Amino acid sequence: MQLSNSQLPVTPAVAAPGAHRKKRSRFRQYLPAYLFILPGTLLFLVWTLYPLLDAFRMSFYEWNLIKPSKFIGLDNYRRALTDDVFWMAFRNTLYYVLITVPGQMILGLAIALLLDGPLRARAVYRTIYYIPVVTSWVVVSLIFTFLFNSQAGMVNWLLNDALGLVDENIRWLRDPTMARIVIAILGIWKGVGWTMVIFLAGLQSIPQSLHEAAAVDGAGPWQRMRDVTLPLIRNTTLFIMVILTIGAFQVFISVYVMTQGKPLHRTDVVLTYMYSNAFEFLDLGYGSAIAYLLAGLVFALSIVQIRVLKRQVDY
Amino acid sequence: MNLNRRSFLTTTAASAAALALLPRASVFAQGTPAVNEDLTGKVIYWSTYNTVSPEYQVLTEQVIPGFNARYPNVEIDAQAIPDTDMRQKLLTAAAGGETPDLARMDIVQVPEFAELGALAAVDDLIPDFAAYAERFYPGPLATNTFQGKHYGIPLDTNTRVIFYNIALFEEAGIAAPPTTFEEFQAAIDQIMALGKDGVTAYSEGGTGAWNMLPWLWSNGGGITNEDYTAATGVLNGEATVGAVEMIKGWLDKGVMSETILGGGLATSQELAEGSVAMIVDGPWMPAIFAAQYPDFEFGLSPFPAGPGGSISVVGGENTVLFEASENKEAALAFAMYLADPESQLAMAATGQMPVLTELTSSTEVPDYFPTFLTQLETAQPRTPSPAWPKIDEAVSDAIYQVVTGELDAQTALDDAAAAIDELLAQYQ
Repeated sequence: MQLSNSQLPVTPAVAAPGAHRKKRSRFRQYLPAYLFILPGTLLFLVWTLYPLLDAFRMSFYEWNLIKPSKFIGLDNYRRALTDDVFWMAFRNTLYYVLITVPGQMILGLAIALLLDGPLRARAVYRTIYYIPVVTSWVVVSLIFTFLFNSQAGMVNWLLNDALGLVDENIRWLRDPTMARIVIAILGIWKGVGWTMVIFLAGLQSIPQSLHEAAAVDGAGPWQRMRDVTLPLIRNTTLFIMVILTIGAFQVFISVYVMTQGKPLHRTDVVLTYMYSNAFEFLDLGYGSAIAYLLAGLVFALSIVQIRVLKRQVDY
Repeated sequence: MNLNRRSFLTTTAASAAALALLPRASVFAQGTPAVNEDLTGKVIYWSTYNTVSPEYQVLTEQVIPGFNARYPNVEIDAQAIPDTDMRQKLLTAAAGGETPDLARMDIVQVPEFAELGALAAVDDLIPDFAAYAERFYPGPLATNTFQGKHYGIPLDTNTRVIFYNIALFEEAGIAAPPTTFEEFQAAIDQIMALGKDGVTAYSEGGTGAWNMLPWLWSNGGGITNEDYTAATGVLNGEATVGAVEMIKGWLDKGVMSETILGGGLATSQELAEGSVAMIVDGPWMPAIFAAQYPDFEFGLSPFPAGPGGSISVVGGENTVLFEASENKEAALAFAMYLADPESQLAMAATGQMPVLTELTSSTEVPDYFPTFLTQLETAQPRTPSPAWPKIDEAVSDAIYQVVTGELDAQTALDDAAAAIDELLAQYQ
């Protein structure tokens, strides 16, 4: 974050008498504030920043837990970029982003529009749609594992035994394409409540007078949607897009619980592949390099998105 | 030693209570064991026993007091670490130099920790180790070896044998469980001749080494040569290729459940619910069946013999001693006590199989043990290598690609053998 000019301390070429005292009194003025943020800052430094930096260091080593580690420069990064399995995991992650981000946004907006109108028991619906958001990832992933079990799952029972739409049981969690679909469905179902709430907040900030004015001018519902609602919730939309994209690239728990990347890493996403390298095969240097590649990509993407987001809209 | 009066009293009281509870203990002890008061201090022991399990109860109420009867001045601090966390917790502890003194470690993990330099070699600590080691079954003992030394003492063992659904066997008119590959094939044919919808003859839980090795070995194949230096010539040899093609054939003909491909049921569930006639599983299953399917009747039979014999795979745990331990002598005494007939029999009552050959014909063990014990006489360990997780993955991936028809057996196993050769070479 950048400080505006007025907040920067003025440092004249020759220190004016009393400037030193002024500085000190300012420090004293903010002392309680500093003390209040001290515990949080310390925790952040020890448990977040230090491991982050140390993992960065590890990514340049052939890291051994007990025996001395060997510095290998960029080898881990080079290895990742030429590793077919890494790219397969990356493609799976990209599919997840491309399906779940628009999926959650379209459905979330649709539900928000419905719940923004005069509907009975609105609060009940809002709660129902929000429940998946606050439910544990592990719990819902396990439930999906049962639902999509190839031999005893309810989904195959419905499609095969009950409706006869398919002749053979679908191997949902072992066929890479099917697994991608199941994992994306879970992601959308679990996230749509959150997008709904944010969109709802955006919708409710639109002055009613604009809708009325548009209606008086003869705009139909579709036109009002396109020319009034959507432009005015543009900031909300961009905000949701940034947050969802960052989140989707970090998909982990659902894949780890439902497929563990099986078979042959074909359902792995970047973070599950990182996890199996770092913690199953103890290749911590390689795992760190993969994590930093993903972090770099998400960071760059976020900067682009925030640039776009910063443009102001006037009305 | 810093034993205060209260803990001394509780230890003594506990030992006395244990002796009262264990009248049979003295029967199995070889003579009256001498009481050793010279060993002192505290020994921290990590086990993967669940604190509400019968195993943990026997450990804390019988085994530890039994040990304290012989070593009254050693305090055992038994900590239950969840099975799934054990490897990571130990790795973290080893990296920080803060390991326990002893741990109950899955046999496949021993070479990995030995290679890290975290474990102490027991050959150097136990006088005349070669003579001491003769009491153990060779399979479990071999799982402690890494680069010519032993990094643990066998604790418990298990292996996989045939479990069959008695009702389905009777219906199909199978008089006796199959003992050879030919009879196994005949049993498959008889089950399939029933023509029951949704019923297959055999089910296997996956294509990993634990599942596949009995078939590979019994067919005369395997993963590596005998000294674990190379896979080429064995994993891609005729016998292994033949075994894998046999399994693929069963899956293609629909006589084998699709469970092997994953994402579905557990084989034990299929067996108990009657959708499968035969599975291959371990000694923990009878207790589970008794609890979950009390009316289910199953039979046990050794793994069918092929050209290579009837060879199953060894599972189990070893007691390992950590290099960082500051009380190795006391820790070793407890590790050896855990392999003593007295504690081995106490744990056997909970379903944990002993590792001592002298207990093979003991009448004090559960009645389903003999089949497993017979099987153990020929059972073999998985490749003891620090690279085991990757070796297992290479085998599993190759066989998966064969049974799904993506690759032919020879090609897939040639590639896997070459990859495993490289992994093995890293540690020689």
